Amino acid sequence: MSKILVSGMGIISAIGNNVVETLQSLRENRSGIEHLRYLKTAHNKFPVGEIKLSNEEMMRMLNIPENLPVTRTSLMGMLAVHEALISACYCWRNQQLSDKQKVAALFKMTDKRIALINGTTVGGMDKREQFYKDFLENDSKNDYIKSHDCGTCTEMIADYFGIFSQLQTISTACSSAANSILYGAELLKNDKADIVVVGGSECITKFHLNGFKMLMILDREKCRPFDITRAGLNLGEGAAYLVLEKEEHFRKRTALSPLAELKGYANTCDAYHQTASSPEGDGAFLAMKKALENANLSLSDIDYINAHGTATQNNDLSEGTAIQRLFGDNIPPVSSTKTFTGHTTSAAGSVEAVISILALQNNFVPANLGYKKKMQELNFEPFTNSHKTLKPVRVVLSNSFGFGGNNTTLIFSKL
Amino acid sequence: MKNKIYILSAAHISAQTPLREDWMKNPILYNEEYVRAIEPNYKEHFSALEARRYGQLLKRALLVSRKAMETSGITNLDAIITGTGLGCIENTEFFLKDLTFNGEELLKPTHFINSTHNTISSLVAIDTKCNGYNSTYTHKGISFECALQDAFMQLNNRKINTALISGHDEMTPDYFAILKKTGYLDFSEQGFAGETAVAMILGTEKTANTLCKIEKVETLYTIDFEYINSVTEKFAKPDYIFTGINGQSENDNRYFDVCEKIFPKVPLLQYKNLFGESYTAPALGIYAAANCLQKGNIPVHFLIQGKSANCKSEPTKILFYNNFEGKNHSLILLSIC
Repeated sequence: MSKILVSGMGIISAIGNNVVETLQSLRENRSGIEHLRYLKTAHNKFPVGEIKLSNEEMMRMLNIPENLPVTRTSLMGMLAVHEALISACYCWRNQQLSDKQKVAALFKMTDKRIALINGTTVGGMDKREQFYKDFLENDSKNDYIKSHDCGTCTEMIADYFGIFSQLQTISTACSSAANSILYGAELLKNDKADIVVVGGSECITKFHLNGFKMLMILDREKCRPFDITRAGLNLGEGAAYLVLEKEEHFRKRTALSPLAELKGYANTCDAYHQTASSPEGDGAFLAMKKALENANLSLSDIDYINAHGTATQNNDLSEGTAIQRLFGDNIPPVSSTKTFTGHTTSAAGSVEAVISILALQNNFVPANLGYKKKMQELNFEPFTNSHKTLKPVRVVLSNSFGFGGNNTTLIFSKL
Repeated sequence: MKNKIYILSAAHISAQTPLREDWMKNPILYNEEYVRAIEPNYKEHFSALEARRYGQLLKRALLVSRKAMETSGITNLDAIITGTGLGCIENTEFFLKDLTFNGEELLKPTHFINSTHNTISSLVAIDTKCNGYNSTYTHKGISFECALQDAFMQLNNRKINTALISGHDEMTPDYFAILKKTGYLDFSEQGFAGETAVAMILGTEKTANTLCKIEKVETLYTIDFEYINSVTEKFAKPDYIFTGINGQSENDNRYFDVCEKIFPKVPLLQYKNLFGESYTAPALGIYAAANCLQKGNIPVHFLIQGKSANCKSEPTKILFYNNFEGKNHSLILLSIC
């Protein structure tokens, strides 16, 4: 079976508007979680990981006319897809090509078979919650009705580039982007596309901020994954995408090295509860185990676990228990990077995939910020010092778990 | 060697008599522009607590899933994959309305929990105790076909042997009014907006009640005849094309144009005249086409005046073709087994 390579990536989150800024924040232990700046809500005391750009600023960066009815999720998605596509064009880095020409050159290579698989659950909810009264009572905001759903969000991103022959939108809550990555790889293996751009985008909305608050899983302080005092998550927002292609397709266009290999993956379902994970972490255990089998790797091959680590009571106990059950006494360094970005929900899987690949490329383990004291139920502590290099980071396992017990594990490796 | 893939069973709740194939001989015809699904008696299937806790869409989803499993005889599922354009829009609206009209203090967590799209797949997994692959596609009019394509690829590669795939969309009065404004659900002249709840069991081994075989599944975002032709060249010429004609002339003409270009002279059929338009209406179309193949006849109400000439009495191959406002094209080739 041909290898699935990561040939490009792009990211925007609370810790940076691109890959370089993201790496810098991770290396300097600089969290992006702050007080709310852009979202208008009564609950403005909760710390969040907002992208440090307004919609208007993003529209200017993208050269989008002011009057176009676009949503925040789409704007973030466009910026991250743009970075991902351009980074996949590095084979032409020595040529004097504009961004547009580079994307066109990439498109030409694919025989029109380039797919965008996007994970989102919020979709156009930001505008929907803002204008819902108008939708019902008058015609002043009709332009925004069409941007209400998840599929439209994906289409707005795709139409900005105009190169995608296949689109799909996956919505499995907080594992959406991870499932998009997994599904994109399947499209390649089944020869349904030559290149896939996979990931997710999600902005913070009043809708899910309130929903999470009702479920009492938001912390009023900065979140502390795997800490005994953890009291919930901080919401974040972000978008991140990977460009994937089969090895032979990649080799055809360049002799350079890819960013990483997507070694294996698995998705399972806890089938336990609509919102909670089973205390023993059955679904998580199964997802990690099956992903290792799929990657044809053994436990000792894993150098770093990028945990889902939301810092809710339930997740960290369930995930921690699953890690302990699977890895026994030889648990590799574990950290949750949600202490940097906040929980970027549907985008978390790809945001953390990019972070995992940065860990591979730069041989470091990002710190689990804010950690002080061990959970009684677990026999391991998360990794807290990113400056302490333990051993080379060659293989990273990244978890993303969603509402409804939807568990996805991705494994990336150096080539 | 690739696997053969079958639709082992299918069950629906829609504008037609629920959980039965009465529509083949005795269809219910409508003159309204907006039709809610005919609900079965849920009391026979759910406890009072469940009936209260779950919204209409979740009850429908659980019931059609149970029924499809029962008919297929499959008890162990390897995957659950759902397509839904809007997810649980009724609960989303409850939450949105509270948020809009009552502020951020009086919201109900149940509405939020039941609003996420993948609550359907998750609940069906809990109900069927399935720890296997679980995913949800939510891409407008092609949501169900995405779920079908995912299952089809995994079955083809022997990653799984069985899958429950489903298409679910409910339509609330307020959301109907909102979407009518965009033109999508404007049925002032002909046709109607409906609701969909369809579950199908797919498998690689034929069973006693098997409906049909799935030969090919293709999806593409924008129309490109060169590409479509390169895809359909691999298809054997079908006896019929099941189209997404819904009574809106712009929509219908698009189907006539595309079908004339890809398979000229093949008789065209409709199903949305009985089941209505909804994001996951294609699930009902594929369900209907699968039943036509199994029973070896095409009900007369599926024929389109002037477009259904040269009809063969017993269909052996049916091409299902749908698009959404000229984008998101799906081509699915079904055959008798």
